[in-house]
Amino acid sequence: MNRKQTLGRLPGYAVLNLWVLFTIVLVGWIVLASLSTTREIFTNTLLQSGLHFDNYIKAIVNHNVGMYFINSMIYTFAASFGIIVISAPASYILARFRFRGNKLIQSLFVGSLGIPQIMIILPLFYLASIMRMTNSRSLLIILYICLNVPFTVFFLLSFFATIPGSFEEAAAIDGCTPIGTFWKIIFPLAQPGIITVGIFNFIVLWNEFFIALIFANTSELRPLAVGLYTMVQSMRYIGDWAGMFAAVIIVFVPTFLLYIFLSKRIIAGVTGGAIKE
Amino acid sequence: MKRDNKMTVIFLTPALLSFCLVFLYPTIRTLFMSFFYVRTVTDNLGKWEFVGIGNYIKLFSSPMFRQSLVNIFNIWFWGGIAVFLVALVFSVILTSGYKGKSFYRAAIYLPNVVSAVAMATMWIQYAFSSKYGLFHSVFTFLGLEKAAAFQWTSPDNQFFAMTLAYCFGMVGYYVLIFMAGIEKIPVDYFEAARLEGANLFKQFTKITMPLMRGVIKSSIVMWSVTSIAFFIWSMMFSPLDPDVGTITPMVYMYNLVFGRNLTPTDPRLLNAGAGAAVGVLMTLMIIGVFGLVNFLIRDKKLQY
Repeated sequence: MNRKQTLGRLPGYAVLNLWVLFTIVLVGWIVLASLSTTREIFTNTLLQSGLHFDNYIKAIVNHNVGMYFINSMIYTFAASFGIIVISAPASYILARFRFRGNKLIQSLFVGSLGIPQIMIILPLFYLASIMRMTNSRSLLIILYICLNVPFTVFFLLSFFATIPGSFEEAAAIDGCTPIGTFWKIIFPLAQPGIITVGIFNFIVLWNEFFIALIFANTSELRPLAVGLYTMVQSMRYIGDWAGMFAAVIIVFVPTFLLYIFLSKRIIAGVTGGAIKE
Repeated sequence: MKRDNKMTVIFLTPALLSFCLVFLYPTIRTLFMSFFYVRTVTDNLGKWEFVGIGNYIKLFSSPMFRQSLVNIFNIWFWGGIAVFLVALVFSVILTSGYKGKSFYRAAIYLPNVVSAVAMATMWIQYAFSSKYGLFHSVFTFLGLEKAAAFQWTSPDNQFFAMTLAYCFGMVGYYVLIFMAGIEKIPVDYFEAARLEGANLFKQFTKITMPLMRGVIKSSIVMWSVTSIAFFIWSMMFSPLDPDVGTITPMVYMYNLVFGRNLTPTDPRLLNAGAGAAVGVLMTLMIIGVFGLVNFLIRDKKLQY
């Protein structure tokens, strides 16, 4: 029986392994190409003249990838932090208290998850231009925060709902203000959810493309994804394929590392966010 | 516990304000804008010129826009069928006691955490390359000369290549969702069915699928929302000019309003109002799919 079962599973394993192998080869080849010369890439003789780490230096210095990287860091960290500061208190109120309009606010937030960016982008551009905020880092950070608040509020609802009310009562008896109670006691208790959604937002923002393409028009403001796009676009003039693959790896590595260390948490977050009772 | 009014206001206001600023106000303004001729997106209300449904009529008379609708439909429909089928097969396999479940699941999901720009570059510059590409090398090695000579990124084939590469990455997300759905079904159901002599296929059609209705339903909505936003892959496959082979409504709108590569074939359309109309049409499509899915798939509240 057991042997039969193993045999029956062979096709399944074959398909899974082939799929995963393809992913590994796809990424692995890019890593090797990023350490070869452009000539070697085109003659299919990767790494023949040894490892060329200078591709990375060239990408970072000559192709501005270093600056894009710093921009991405600024946008991603500032916005991930801001999203939590705005979303966590709102989510707590919505999860904890019954009041008129609570359900309405929740459905508005959920509904906004279905609004495509193409529907909201034009007025946002108009607002930014009349406020003379186009081409500034703070504009992009503010947009990233606001755009991700509804999802984060929605995601955190179930985490705040499960914290027993006795914590607040005990804190109130000890003379702690409701606001103080939230930040000192409830917020730390909801940490598993906050960290999960924080990582999730981090990955989404790191990879964000459309908003940055429209609002970060100058080269000094571009995050990595847009920087890489403009680099690929001008590849026919630059001709530095090895440098381009190095840039791909520089974009790839941060979220990949996060994923390697935190895949369990990220996967639990994805399924937890999508499958709700 | 009693609710503190001051705290409620302080805690809720920033989130509500941000919602009004980036969702509510823009949605309403875009809806209005779609009925006006607006020369540039930064024009204020005073310069808007009412044209009724003129923008919509002009959009549908543009061959480029009609092609973008055809493309997005093909990605949504055919790509959706492919992604859901593959993801279902993988999730059924992985939940039936295979070793290395978490590894496979994590590896299949990987493309979802990587920047789409990076993924698309890997596909275009390596997998699809006709000089040193992965498919070229594998097919040459296997002696399949015809397959090796296939020009993935030529105008005739680039839509297929783009959809293939996009769907490959999307499978992982649905594997995760479907696996979580299957794992919520009590094991007893499958055991009872097995004792009664039901094979894997019977178990899938009689137990898994009916109990996964709610999951499938929300997945279809999710797939529609992400498909409508199809943008990066199209920009990557045609980086210089919008191309009939890869254009999608979002790329069309981007070029119409923001692009330097304004579609020279449609000078009448240089109008941010038409861009707004594209947005309205896409939003209507999402609402339409949502309604249709809710109508077609009745999701009874199941208790188990």
